[in-house]
Amino acid sequence: MPIKALTQISTGRNGVGAFVLQCKKMDFHYCDWAGSSKGMNGFIKSLLPKFAASHPQVEFSVSPRPSKHPVIIAQYINGREKAICVRNMEPYEILKKAELLRDASGEKLRKVTKPVQSINESVRGVWSPYHGNGLRV
Amino acid sequence: MKRLRLDRFSGQLLVARPGQCPASTPRSALRSSAVSRCTAVRHQSSQAAYQIPQDDDYYDGTDHVRFPPLEKLPPRATSLPSPPPERALQSAKLAALKARLSLPEKLPLQTLARALVDASADENAQFNNTSLAFVGQSLINYHVAEWLMCRYPRLPMEILYAAMKGYAGPTSLHQVARSWGVEHAAAPGGEVDPGLLQFSLHKPAKAIIGFGSKRAEAHGMKKYKWRHSVSNRVVFDDDFGEVIDPEAHKTELLARADTEYGNEYTRSLAEQAYATCARAVVGALYAHAGREPAKAFVKAHILSRTLDLSRLFSFKKPTRELSMLCAREDFEPPVARLLSETGRLSRTPVFVVGIFSGADKLGEAAAPSLEHARAKASMNALKSWYLYSPGENVRVPSDVLGAEDDRPWEPAYIDMGEIVGR
Repeated sequence: MPIKALTQISTGRNGVGAFVLQCKKMDFHYCDWAGSSKGMNGFIKSLLPKFAASHPQVEFSVSPRPSKHPVIIAQYINGREKAICVRNMEPYEILKKAELLRDASGEKLRKVTKPVQSINESVRGVWSPYHGNGLRV
Repeated sequence: MKRLRLDRFSGQLLVARPGQCPASTPRSALRSSAVSRCTAVRHQSSQAAYQIPQDDDYYDGTDHVRFPPLEKLPPRATSLPSPPPERALQSAKLAALKARLSLPEKLPLQTLARALVDASADENAQFNNTSLAFVGQSLINYHVAEWLMCRYPRLPMEILYAAMKGYAGPTSLHQVARSWGVEHAAAPGGEVDPGLLQFSLHKPAKAIIGFGSKRAEAHGMKKYKWRHSVSNRVVFDDDFGEVIDPEAHKTELLARADTEYGNEYTRSLAEQAYATCARAVVGALYAHAGREPAKAFVKAHILSRTLDLSRLFSFKKPTRELSMLCAREDFEPPVARLLSETGRLSRTPVFVVGIFSGADKLGEAAAPSLEHARAKASMNALKSWYLYSPGENVRVPSDVLGAEDDRPWEPAYIDMGEIVGR
């Protein structure tokens, strides 16, 4: 009559205990010649060093992509990547886009209809028709 | 579960500290086994690396004018089985990983790089993560076990093993390492980025990273399902109560490692490598930063995960076990009573049955048949007995070692044990 044990694996929730930023790498691509990269070149010269220094947990790479529009590609821990084309944008607009990519979780965008999702057991319990005094109709 | 013997295992880890020249290490010790691909003497610190003479006779036929190397590799890097330690300082991936895990400055990048080299990639124990993983495995299992024992003092041994495996088993630690954003290299070698986890699927490691002894009768236990009791498992088997499988590589599955997307054996090897890496990071943290940061790290990354312990139980005869429990604890014998029912003659009846011991209700459950409802109610009663907890923030023995908590230790609740069947 011994108790047998079943195999279960613990599930982690990011931010419970430790928080790990989900964006793990950002690639900044620019073109030296094209006008659409003007803002990107300014961003790389003026804003990127500070941005990169303030985010040591993200790997940054800057590389040329001749005769193409400038683009920021972010890679995430869940294996997905997101790319934003930043042609003809001002440096501060590009900074906004970089912050957007940094803060993203890497999941596909979907409409959140229930603002709270939890794996915890309900505190109040599930309503049962078999308990309590019931309602006389 | 087992006694920690850290002093015996972490001594040689400290050789990995930068600035400490391993000049006192005998040259023969730096040599790996005879089958190692390493031809030169390898050094852990970067100062010693400059002594390696330039060697231009190694040429792999690449046109370096047309395809310049992206990174200036140190000489002989491509002939080593894992990246030289001094390259760790240049790796962006490694620095990002260190910052992502909020590891302290005391932990040098070279040691973190070493934690990412599996024994299957580099056989040399001075350069792979075996010793770090042994320390880490002991620490993780100790903290998980003490927390489970203090938080749920009545857990039966089988459930305690399953719970430990759920928190600190290889599958769980594999997920932890994945959630850190650790990536693996396609194949190990001296030229790959030190920030990538390196393991080989072709020659599994024979490194020992845990306690437990090999059983001579392991084959018979597997083939004929020989009985082995729980106390037997406590003594002989590993920290999760599992028999250490001495069987060698599954050759035919290994041979197919490259031809498919992998098979269940190669997947388990990869899982092991990730889990070993997670353990080695904890071991490295302990070796360089000490006990408290390592404990905080284990708490933040492993103990903070969610595991519903009530889903681990599988009862065979719950009603009998409950009546034995009541007899042992001098409760009145349990009686099942029907509390409410609906649709007895319909297709979907519901019976709510409570188990009472005298006037006390021990458990309750709803089910579509009377028999089922009674069994479920007994299981609920047994689970509420076994999952007794003194509180959420129960103190564990290692809390007393911390400097910030000066309160004297109050002995933890110890239960008389699980219900033994006759």
